[in-house]
Parts: sequence; structure tokens; C-alpha cells
Amino acid sequence: MTFEIPKTSYSGKIRETTLGTGDKTITIGGETAYPFHLFEGEMPHLPKIAMEVWDCSPEDWAEAALEPFTGVTDDPVAWAKKCIDDYGAEMIALQLISTDPNGLNRGADETAEVVKKVADAIDIPLIVWGTGNEDKDTEVLRKVAEVCQGKNLIIGPVEEGDHKRIGASAIGYNHTVIASTPIDINLAKQLNILLSNLGVPDERLLIDPTVSSIGYGIEYAYSVMERIRMAGLTQQDEKLQFPIICNIAKEVWKTKEVHLANNELNMGDAKKRGILMEAMTAMVLLLAGADVLIMRHPEAIKLVREMIAELTTTK
Amino acid sequence: MTKAAIDKKRKVHFDPDNVDIIVAQGENLLQAAIDAGAHINASCGGAGVCGTCKVLIKEGKVKSTRTEKLSAEEYKHGFRQACQSSIITDLTVSIPVESRLETAVLAREGKEMAAGVQQPETLATGWRFNPPLSKLFVELPPPTLEDNTSDLSRVLRGLKQQYNLDNISVDFGVIKKLAKVLRDGDWKVTITTLMTGTETQSDGEPRLTMINIEPGDTRGKYYSLAFDIGTTGVRAQLLDLKRGRVLAQGVDYNGQISYGADVITRIAYCQKRGGLQRLQKTVVTTMNGIIKELLTQAEVEMEDIGYVVVAGNTTMLQLFLGLEPKYLRLTPYTPVANFMPLVRANYLGLELGEHVYLYALPSVASYVGADIVSGILGTGVHQRKKLTLYVDIGTNGEIVIGNSDWMVTASCSAGPAFEGGGIKHGTIATDGAIEQFDINPSNFEPTISTIGDTKPKGICGSGLINIVAGLLEAGVISQNGKFNTDLHTKRVREGSDGYEYVLSWAPETQISKDIVITEVDIDNLIRAKAAMYAGCQTLIKSVGLTGNNLEQVIIAGAFGSSLDIEKSITIGLFPDIPRDRFIYIGNGSLLGARLTCFSTDMLDEGEKVARMMTNFELSENTTFMNNYIAALFLPHTNADEFPSVSKRLATGEKVN
Repeated sequence: MTFEIPKTSYSGKIRETTLGTGDKTITIGGETAYPFHLFEGEMPHLPKIAMEVWDCSPEDWAEAALEPFTGVTDDPVAWAKKCIDDYGAEMIALQLISTDPNGLNRGADETAEVVKKVADAIDIPLIVWGTGNEDKDTEVLRKVAEVCQGKNLIIGPVEEGDHKRIGASAIGYNHTVIASTPIDINLAKQLNILLSNLGVPDERLLIDPTVSSIGYGIEYAYSVMERIRMAGLTQQDEKLQFPIICNIAKEVWKTKEVHLANNELNMGDAKKRGILMEAMTAMVLLLAGADVLIMRHPEAIKLVREMIAELTTTK
Repeated sequence: MTKAAIDKKRKVHFDPDNVDIIVAQGENLLQAAIDAGAHINASCGGAGVCGTCKVLIKEGKVKSTRTEKLSAEEYKHGFRQACQSSIITDLTVSIPVESRLETAVLAREGKEMAAGVQQPETLATGWRFNPPLSKLFVELPPPTLEDNTSDLSRVLRGLKQQYNLDNISVDFGVIKKLAKVLRDGDWKVTITTLMTGTETQSDGEPRLTMINIEPGDTRGKYYSLAFDIGTTGVRAQLLDLKRGRVLAQGVDYNGQISYGADVITRIAYCQKRGGLQRLQKTVVTTMNGIIKELLTQAEVEMEDIGYVVVAGNTTMLQLFLGLEPKYLRLTPYTPVANFMPLVRANYLGLELGEHVYLYALPSVASYVGADIVSGILGTGVHQRKKLTLYVDIGTNGEIVIGNSDWMVTASCSAGPAFEGGGIKHGTIATDGAIEQFDINPSNFEPTISTIGDTKPKGICGSGLINIVAGLLEAGVISQNGKFNTDLHTKRVREGSDGYEYVLSWAPETQISKDIVITEVDIDNLIRAKAAMYAGCQTLIKSVGLTGNNLEQVIIAGAFGSSLDIEKSITIGLFPDIPRDRFIYIGNGSLLGARLTCFSTDMLDEGEKVARMMTNFELSENTTFMNNYIAALFLPHTNADEFPSVSKRLATGEKVN
């Protein structure tokens, strides 16, 4: 008797979402099976990686992370271009670090100008990520949405407290929103319902489940993402059938481990350590169901791309 | 403060109670009010955080700390928190209407009921009218030199001959008056016997006890009392055991309210020196007051009452019985006893005859009390195959699922929102509490009605449910309970606690302040209903069922006569199943206590019910937490669980 691999039967499908405008739009989602379960269903669009760009010069980055971007970290446009030209970025994620009220506290108008410059300079999809401060994000992201009308930016984080105002701008100026909730499937679903009620179209919504680095509680994020996928694919839960985006670079590169020097605490080569931590975090989250990853180090990205290719190439 | 100052006596006068009390200078004003018998709300037990004990100092001086519960305006006009004030000079104090306890509404029960609700009287079936307390008349031959056996042997022989009764135990109290009563009655006497529960008896012990003997034939006069000791209200009925009727019923606030609104605050109060004794005496005083009123109402003599049955949650019973309640709230949450032995009523301080025993219905666990056992007993859930969900809604929600074969139970801490606690303008269901609410979906103007049809002074639990359901359906709040601030109405505005909706403008109210419902209030209600619903859901799931399997849902609780089932489902408090499966019974606890007075069968059944119930501890259950978060949404995160509500909300939104 021949052995048959037991198969999960699926009743749902993740929504397809098209990001960006023009010739270089990217479509994500569309899965009909668990991540990489190609023997059970389809994964029509492979997970995408967005390369991180900051809107101000980073001050506390590890040596290894700064090195690939020498000379461009004080100019977001040049930085984004370098990501595309030198490292083949598929998407750019602009982190609005300078708007943090506890930091530089840069204003909405000035920030929106910078975002506009970057958006105009590139032709691939652009993610714009605020600081998580609801009041400040409302002010900044609304302005960004207005100034960049028609660019189909991916705007986040949109949280329960600011979803109405940011959501309304995103609808008005045709952008995609990132619904961000703190590691809980119910809270994720509730925010999706609220955004739908507000009028955000189903194909303009991504879920940010809130993630962390390996070694910093990633199992919680993993388990929530896994459950979101199970609900969407096997329990016909329409309010959870959205692609998932994971903002991991910031998490990995702020850990103590990536900042230790070579061989400190017997932890080997600092550069290799940082790259591997980012790549491993990314892989874990891909297996949990991530559709878009925001990453930093080109070599980590390269490793992850190879893994994706290997997992999806039929021999 | 010097010793001399402490020794100084001060006179305090309280209005409108019109009572005076002499206390030492420096005494706490709230304590003085309690001692004087003036009724003041104090939900937090004097911690200064609830602001319900606000009083107006009309004359004299107090030393008082102003907390954020008093506005600067109020403070300027002489309002103080009684619990934060110590007495300096002689005082005249006025207790404003919103700080007073009023009993009007507690008594309103049993009027008309909301749609789809039926009277519970006939729910429990198959019980015979055979009260555990009975009276037997015997005529005895007087003793002679030939037959000079003892008085007691003569009585026992008479019982054996005339009623074929043996194996009866005798109380010492009977012996004490035996010789006199027999001779006063010319050897014609009435004997009172009591059948005891089986659970606290060892095998072979007689279950029948002779508790009283009276001269002559008094069989026409024997009565008992049924009590439900609630955290908020104490309710009682005087029962005629000869005729099987309720002669009178009474209700009063549990005097312990002044020491804290919820069980936890009261358990904490017991940790103070003399705290337990004080709370025990307080509730007994409340009960004695009710007994007096019942006796007057029914024109019954105190001596003719022979038996008392009491139900209540585990904490209330332990406080009433004077048992250390501390371990109820410490993990692993152990009660002193689930089955209480009989205790003499006057030993506890009840003003009743010396021979009167008190039976406390059994409980199941720390937070699954005799009140729910009593409710199950009274509604006969344990007698039928019909799968029933029984929910007792209150500060501590209690849930039972089962039928004649099995029963599981759980309790969940819903918080005081259902009784108006933790709500800015919340009040217990008394006169002036907003109960009904309707809203015009085009201009968002409300139509409200209050208990007693007076000017509004606050919002009670059922009113809160109706208001939130109405605001949700009209789109004034969204599914997360937050206000839609883009509406063209001046009723939605930003207040000191965030956004709020004005239910009544100041001139229309009793309290001369706008009565509002705030986002914080709505949040509190959502948490309370989420705890109840998640509790039900977790329990249903843990026995492998779904809401649709429920053939009957019995709702009991402190809402008095009115609970709108439809609106309760709209906010996601109860499962969205056909409305004709719901029955609202009001106070389930008193129902079972009454039946236990009427029937020895029910006494035995009560113990059977308590043994049948398996308790589920939800506090450490991870599924419960998950279900709880999912239920923190109106009506629920999973719209599929509320198909009829979701459909209505969806079509409603198109209208707006």
C-alpha cells in the first residue's frame, strides 16, 4: 500500500492585495494553504521583503548594520535608491523615526515633504511607518496621506485609538493601511472589523500582529500569526483573511546580542551574529504566515530569499 | 490630636433621617452616620475612592481631605466625603438624595415582566407539601403511682402510640420546660419536630428532633421564614406552613453596604479588629428589622415562628454565620463548610424563639454559593432532561449548565456595573434610576423613563444595558464602545472623563447636574458583560456543547422586575438563540429557600443538587481569557455568534 500524506482541507483564501502603483506594483496574499504547504494548496505570490530606510541618521545602529549603507544614511532618498540599485529591494519601508515626540519630534509638514521626495524618487511600493504614538501618528500620517495622494502607500501603524482619523485619510487618498494590534487574535479581528465598518476596502488592509526578535518572545507572535492563518484558511473567518506584515528589523537590531562586540561573552563574530539573528527571525515569521517582512541587512535578506526559493522550487 | 480633644463629645445631627448621635471629637463622619442609623452609600467601604458617601455639612466644622471625587465647586458649597471627614465641632449634616439608600425599588419585584418572560412558580415539580417543621398534638394519660414513668418517656410513648414515631432526638430546651408545659396543658400538648438535612448527620442518627413543646393544641399556628442574603439587598418571606402560603414579604438593603459594595471589600474589612463581628451584627440587624416588619404585616406572633431557611452567596452566609471569610478569596479559595449544620437562630442574634433552628442551604465552592443551589432547586433544573443554562447576574456572576444527569458550574467576577457600580452616574435600582431608554435615530434625542416615574437621578444596571444597546443600534457608539464624534448632536460631547452622551440635562434631573453616560462607563459594562458571556461560553465549550444546544436559559438576578432580553442579547450578554427559550425569574435564591421551608423533599434535593455540581475554576483558565477578549466588543468579535444582532446592525447602518 502506498503512503499518502495526510492533508489539511482548507475552506478559505487569503485576500490578494496589490501594493504601489504603475509598472512595479507588487501583489501579495492569495494563499490557499498554510505557509509553504505547497502539497496542499497554492501560494501564488511569494512573501516579499521591504528594505528599511530611516528618515534621519541612525545613532545607535550596530556597526554591522550601518556598514552596507555608508554615506547614504543621512539622506533617505539616496538610501532608498541604494537599496534598490545595490541590493535589489522589492519594496522600501520608510521609518518615521524623527517624528517621535520623545526624540527629534519633527513636525508633520516637514516629514510629509521627506516622504513625498522618497515616494517620487522610487517606483516600487513604499511603506511608511510612524512611531506608535497615536496623537503624533494621526497628525503625521494624515498629512503624509494627503501629500502623497494616489501613490498607494502602505501606512501604519493604525491602532484602535487612531484608526478613525488615519483610516479616513487613507480611504480618502487611496492608500493601504496596516492594522496594528498587540499580539492578540481577537484584538486583531476587532480592529479589522472597525476599519471595515469605517469603509476601508478589504483589498487595502494588512495585519501587523506585533512581532519580536528570536529570544525575545517570538513564540507569542508565532502562535498568534498561526492562529490568524488557521482562522482565515480553515474557519472561514473573513475578518482575518488579510495578508500579514512584520516589522522585524527594528526588533532584531535593538537586542543586546547584536550590539555585543566580537567574541564578547563567547558569542563569536558580531556581524555574522546580527545577520543570522535577523535571518532566523525572518524565517520563523515566514513559517508562521508573514507576507511582507521589513528587514535591514542585505545579507540577511539574501539568506532569506534563498530559503524562500528553496522552499518553493519543486524539484 | 491631644488626648483631651479626643475625649470631647460632639453631637451630630443627620437630615433627612432626623437622627442625632453623640460621638467623640475626631470620630469619622461615615462611622458616626452608620452608628446613628442614617443611611449613606459607601461603595468602597470608606477608602475614599468611590465618592458615593458625599454629604453636605450645613453647620459646624469637619476636617476633611478633598479627593478628585469632589469638584472644587461642590467643596466650596460644603460638600464633603463622609468617609474622609473627621468631626471637629457639633454638626448638622444633610445627606443628599444621590447618597441615600432607598428601599422603594427592591420591593418592586414581581410586577409586570419583560416580554418572553414567565413566572417561575411551577418550574420545580414533583415535590410534596411536607414541611421539615411539623407540629403534632398528643393527649397523654396523666401519671399515676402504677405508671410513674418520667415525663419525657410519657411523651415519647405517646408519640409512638399515636403517630408511630420513634427514633427521635430531643433538644435540652424541651426538657427544661417539659414538666411545667405538660401540667399547664393538662397533658394535652403540641410538639414541634424538625427534620434535619442528611449531609451533616452521621449514619443511623435520628433525623427528627423534638425542638419545642407547647400546652394545648397550637397546630394552626406554625410559620417559617425564608431569607436571601444578597450582597446588596436582603429579601425575606414569612410562610404559613399550615396552609403552604406566603403571608408577607419584605426587603431591605444589607446594612453591610456601608462597609463596602462588593464581597472583596467586605472580606478585607473583616481583617480589621472586630470587623467580622461588626459585619455579622450589621446584617443581623437588617434581618431583625425585616422580621419585625413581616410579623406586623401578617399579624403573626414571634413565638409561632419555628424555622428559618437562609440562602445567599458563600461570602454573605459566612459573614452572617460569623465564620472567618479570609480563605474564600485566597487561592485555592476554600469555604469553611459547604453543608452547614443547623444552628440556633438566636445564637446568631436573630430575635426569635429559643427553639428556632436556622438552616443554611448548601453551597458548592467559594464563589458558587447557596444562592445558586437554591435557584437551581427552585427552578427544577436538576429534575429535567432539558439542557438548561442558569445564569445569576450580579457583581459575582454565577453560571450553571446541566440537567437531571449532570451539572457544571462556574463563577466569574463581572464587577459591580450591573448594579450601577463603577458607573459615573450609576445607582442601584431605586426611584429615579433611568431604566428604559429609546433614541431617535435621526436626531439622536433620547426618550427615557425612570423607576417610580420621577425625575432621573442616575442609571441602574438594566438601564445601562438598554442605553448601550440603543446607542449601538443608532450608531452613536461603534462596536468597540467608542463614541462616533462626527454626529450632529450636542448630546455627544467631551467631558472630564472623555467623550460622553447626555441623557438628561441638569434642569430635568433630581441632582441638578447633567446625567451622562461616559466611554469609561460603557467600557465597564462591556467588561462586565464580556465576563458573563465568556464564562457561559467557556463552560458550554468545556462540556462539548454550543449555545444552540441549550434548550432553556434561566436568568436570575438583581435587576428586579425588568430585564430586556432582546437588548441584553444586542450588547452580547446572552447567546443569540431563539428568545422563547429564555425565562427571567428575578430572585432565584429566595425561591429555593421558600420551597425548602415547604418541603422536606426539597431539603434533601438541595443537598443532592449541591453534590451534583462540579465547579470549574475560571480564574486560571486560558480559554476563558481568550473568550473574554473576544467578548470585549459589541456584540462580539465573532459576528457569527450573534447572527440576528449582526444582521440588524448591518441594516441599521445603511439607514444612517
